[in-house]
Amino acid sequence: MLAAEPKSVGRPVLRKEDNRLIKGLGCYVADVNRPDQVYARIVRSQVAHAKLLGVHLEEARARPGCVAAFAATDIPDIAQKKIPVRITPSRLDQFALQTPLAVDKVRYVGEPIAVVVATDPYVAEDVAEDVWAEMEELPPHLDPLSAGGSVLHEMVPDNIVGDIDTSNGEDVDGLFRNADVLLHQRFSIHRHSAAPLEPRGLVAEADPQTGRLVVWGPTKVKHFNKRVLASMLDLPDNRILLIEPDVGGGFGPRGEFYPEDFLIPWLALRLKRPVKWIEDRAENFVALNHSREHVIDLTIAAQSDGTLLGFRCTDWCSVGAYVRTTGLTVAKLVGLHLSGPYRWRGFSSKVIGVLTNKTPLGTYRGPGEVEATFVRERALDILAAKLGLDPTDIRRRNLIPAEALPYRVETGPRSETLEYGSGNYPAMFDRLLANAGYQELKDEQARRRELGEAVGIGVACFLDQGGIGPFEQARVVAEVDGTFTGYVGVASVGQGVQTALAQILADEIGVSVDRARILHHDTDSIEDGMGAYASRTTSVGGSALVLAARQLKDNARRAGAQRFGVAEHEVELRADEVWARDGRVVTFRALECEASARFETSAIDFSFGSVLATVSVDRGTGRVRVERYVGHYDVGRAVNPLIVRGQLEGGAAQGIGGILLEELAYDDRGQPLCTSFMDYMLPTLSEVPYIETAWSEFPSEDNLIGAKGAGEAGIIGSMAVIANAVADALDPDRMVVTSTPLRADRVLGLLRASSSAPPHGISSTLDST
Amino acid sequence: MKPPPFHYVRCSSAADAVALLSEGGEDAKLLAGGQSLVPLLNFRLARPSLLVDINHIEDLDYVREDEAELCIGALTRQATLERTSLRSCWDAIAEAVPLIGHYPTRFRGTVGGSIAHADPSAEIPVLCLGYGARLTLVGAGNQRIVVADDFFLGPFMTLIEPSEILTDVCLTAPPLGASTAFEEFSERHGDFALASVFAGMQLIDGVCSWVRIAAAGVGPTPVRAAAAEAALLGSRASDADLREAAAALASECSIRDDFHCSAKARSEIANELALRALTRARGKQVGVAGRRSEGLHQPSSESSAGEDN
Amino acid sequence: MEQMSDQDSPLRSRTDPAVVAMVGSDDIVEVTFELNGTATTLRCSVRWTLADMLREKARVTGTHLGCEHGVCGACTVIVDGEPVRSCVMLAVQVEGSSVRTIEGLCPSGELHPVQRAFHESHALQCGFCTPGFIMLSVGLLEREPDASKGRIRDVLSSNLCRCTGYRPILRAVRSAQREMSQ
Repeated sequence: MLAAEPKSVGRPVLRKEDNRLIKGLGCYVADVNRPDQVYARIVRSQVAHAKLLGVHLEEARARPGCVAAFAATDIPDIAQKKIPVRITPSRLDQFALQTPLAVDKVRYVGEPIAVVVATDPYVAEDVAEDVWAEMEELPPHLDPLSAGGSVLHEMVPDNIVGDIDTSNGEDVDGLFRNADVLLHQRFSIHRHSAAPLEPRGLVAEADPQTGRLVVWGPTKVKHFNKRVLASMLDLPDNRILLIEPDVGGGFGPRGEFYPEDFLIPWLALRLKRPVKWIEDRAENFVALNHSREHVIDLTIAAQSDGTLLGFRCTDWCSVGAYVRTTGLTVAKLVGLHLSGPYRWRGFSSKVIGVLTNKTPLGTYRGPGEVEATFVRERALDILAAKLGLDPTDIRRRNLIPAEALPYRVETGPRSETLEYGSGNYPAMFDRLLANAGYQELKDEQARRRELGEAVGIGVACFLDQGGIGPFEQARVVAEVDGTFTGYVGVASVGQGVQTALAQILADEIGVSVDRARILHHDTDSIEDGMGAYASRTTSVGGSALVLAARQLKDNARRAGAQRFGVAEHEVELRADEVWARDGRVVTFRALECEASARFETSAIDFSFGSVLATVSVDRGTGRVRVERYVGHYDVGRAVNPLIVRGQLEGGAAQGIGGILLEELAYDDRGQPLCTSFMDYMLPTLSEVPYIETAWSEFPSEDNLIGAKGAGEAGIIGSMAVIANAVADALDPDRMVVTSTPLRADRVLGLLRASSSAPPHGISSTLDST
Repeated sequence: MKPPPFHYVRCSSAADAVALLSEGGEDAKLLAGGQSLVPLLNFRLARPSLLVDINHIEDLDYVREDEAELCIGALTRQATLERTSLRSCWDAIAEAVPLIGHYPTRFRGTVGGSIAHADPSAEIPVLCLGYGARLTLVGAGNQRIVVADDFFLGPFMTLIEPSEILTDVCLTAPPLGASTAFEEFSERHGDFALASVFAGMQLIDGVCSWVRIAAAGVGPTPVRAAAAEAALLGSRASDADLREAAAALASECSIRDDFHCSAKARSEIANELALRALTRARGKQVGVAGRRSEGLHQPSSESSAGEDN
Repeated sequence: MEQMSDQDSPLRSRTDPAVVAMVGSDDIVEVTFELNGTATTLRCSVRWTLADMLREKARVTGTHLGCEHGVCGACTVIVDGEPVRSCVMLAVQVEGSSVRTIEGLCPSGELHPVQRAFHESHALQCGFCTPGFIMLSVGLLEREPDASKGRIRDVLSSNLCRCTGYRPILRAVRSAQREMSQ
């Protein structure tokens, strides 16, 4: 009898994805080429807000090499083809949805106004330049706080597309009245781009033999997008096949349904030729969903010993010109994550989605969570300083203790109840401080301060949510060569899903991991799926795989027993073989086994994380150098430690870039100022320190894997912890950092401000009541 | 982001290039390293009708050092200059060139291309001003030499006429025994500098007998900081003298606010960089090692705890 | 522009490289060079970048386009022994040169030490920046086998990665350096 195969879950299995990719044999959408293909180019508005009076295509159509050119007037019923909201609808969003081409108004620089098609991509760009539009410019509405101003959508008269209230516990006014201290602060967070290294693209072809419309390029939420596309094209769902190629990073915005996701397939049907569209980087900066732009007012009530009582918060979220598929999710998650891993007696928040003449907003890694964590953790530091408490002490005092878990947080009559499941927040926080050597860091800081250095230490604690349902499906097939294929409806955005899920599948069956493969690439392989977002691929997708594998084993047992003519209880499963008592054996593959299953969950996993960072600020140039970055996260269960570590480190690096270097700005005419990698500065190796990462595993009880997600945890605390460290470096009261980013010239301004007393420009008020 | 259409021709001599530029008119452009021009073509911010590729011109790729000057052919790759050992008075070059763009861009980018392109934040123009460079321009049937002080007219604008080609740049050697240093600040490795400063100094019997200060990022072109130089010349180059000189440089700052950096911050940064460059140049004079604030091979600021191999 | 299209222009008669066709506004030329050790002649417009010629005409798509303005380095290839950004080189500029792309690193199928090190160090996630980093690293290590850690850090700071946070890439290159020095 063979020895049982050692389990691969929990081991740092090297990735199956790598072999092709390190050889340059990946197939990203730009590498897909179809015979007789033509090249599309989107013509985009150069004006932020205008009535669109006409789009002129005559010159474009006359240029040699132009195959076709279309504006809204060429697409029947385009005004009714609105890109729907997938999650988090809001009151008036139906009046602020985007059509694939602008019909009578343009509302952001980059909005598609026409699409042209040519024989090669160079000529397509020539043709696009021949298109011109007649517009009547309107003043742009750019500031989410300004009431009035230009109206973007007729039926949304004050540009407020919706709002979401949360409320919890005791009456907040009462808490404020009885508090020893109230801290009021306004924070502002800048606009970010996820900026995946691969721009978007699509290749669409109407297959002449099957009559199906095949589209390469979709990812993330393929099944939803297929349904939307079918609806917009008036086709039955099964006439469309979406194929996910290799994907050069997703981070949230890639894979949502954009105007191009309609236009390119429409062109393929219209022209009866394959159509290839590859976005360039300048387009990506104005077309890919932006994220994170908020102004947030927070008032916290506390006792003088640092006990938190309650808070009230208003978030004005600049959602851009249209409500995109992720609806008001970014703002909603701010409201749900403000309270974080702490005990409060009550709180209330209102998040408001405000339309602005900028690129629309979507979810970006740790959406709303990064922002809420920044605001709350900054406020805790300011409060701690004013109360004379160490920042670690105020957190320890208020972290939800282990014995209080699972901890339920009601968030109001029209909002969901949050349940924080397993974990031990105070113990993990102490572990972080021990790993970082907190006391030694403080001592060293004191020594360096004596020498005149501006050095700071920051901490932050947060909750990460993941494992969102409602379901995933999986199908497992025993192949003739002895391998097993698992089909799943999740997606890959480069995070290693093929390896981690293969480990889960292999372990469940009892074979070595090289005998399991995962396919997720197209919408045919599995009937339905939710996709890759909210840190759910391993936990929810993996659970579906486990159920399918168990079903496979049941099927094999039944089929094997039947083959042997014995009762089911008389056969034994050993890995992928069915054994009769008399020594007869048959393999799963010989039985041609396959099975499908569906895993459903309505739970959301909340996992604790904490981070510490040290920075030194160059007083002469304003440069912030991150010296140490230490994180401790609860990943539930690390299916593949290599992949988990990679996700946590990558998320931290992205967050460090986000607060210190990256900034999407607009001028007062609504013109974007950052449309290249020279202006939007992703960090290089020189700007990212060694990220020290450790984790605990408090398994989730809401899925079969126990995993809680690691894809977003790495970024969630990054903005807060760097901001806290910089504030500590600049100012003993830690009050000066209330907005992001912390680029050199801002830091120089803060240095100037903090050297005079009281710091000016700070709208922080601290009242003793 | 694909280039617009253009005609393209290679040439093999400076005279040929000049003839092609004359024929091509205002819309003809020279293609050397391409690290500045091709991105502009890709963005369609440059739309030349004719590209004249001068990469095959021989005799313009050289570095010749003698007592009085350092002459560099315009087509010398930045990487070549980076690899060339020079004596210590040319230290500012050794410090500046590794900060130009990135390792791969320096294999293509040329010394002459950087000067002719005249990006206001570029390093080599600052070196030209600091070292009092003389630039050779070849036109149709004539050749002239222009001094660096006169050469830079505005952002991306120089004295080069449409049918001229820069062929050589000769930097003047500082007085024997002088020291130079170069400081730059960019928010990210390899980026365009927000400001950069060249400092050259000689102390004889403790008195500053020669000083050169040049900077980029403080105005629409790189500048010679004449007021700052005057403040230092004849002084004992004390800390206070250096601070005064650095402040004089900063006060001449005429740059405007832009999205990346306010004018006020830029002048503060220039002040700081001038102070650091002057301090290090002085340090080299008196034999005190200075710590460079930015740049290569700096001891990593990461703690050694937990650092990978 | 008009004088250039005049067939009698003296410029036209000595145009180098020869224009073999004109399609619309495009002058088509032939570029002869060595691609991964094989002599190759390809036709494309003079305005085509090296990256596009490799990807579209030679159909080696391992060289990726992340920005097309010479910042991200995903398009890095090795030309005449030097790592360069193929998105800011014109295709015609490699006439007579030797060009190596990621596909040419392991012709026999056995992984180059840098490739193997990337795999073992988990130095890639989405893989889009990976060929560029690998070619940059191979170029550096071939030219400077004894590059110091600081030198490697400096050179690797040339390229962008959005997924890994870079440290695994640094580890991979140093590990490959050790293997290559044996």
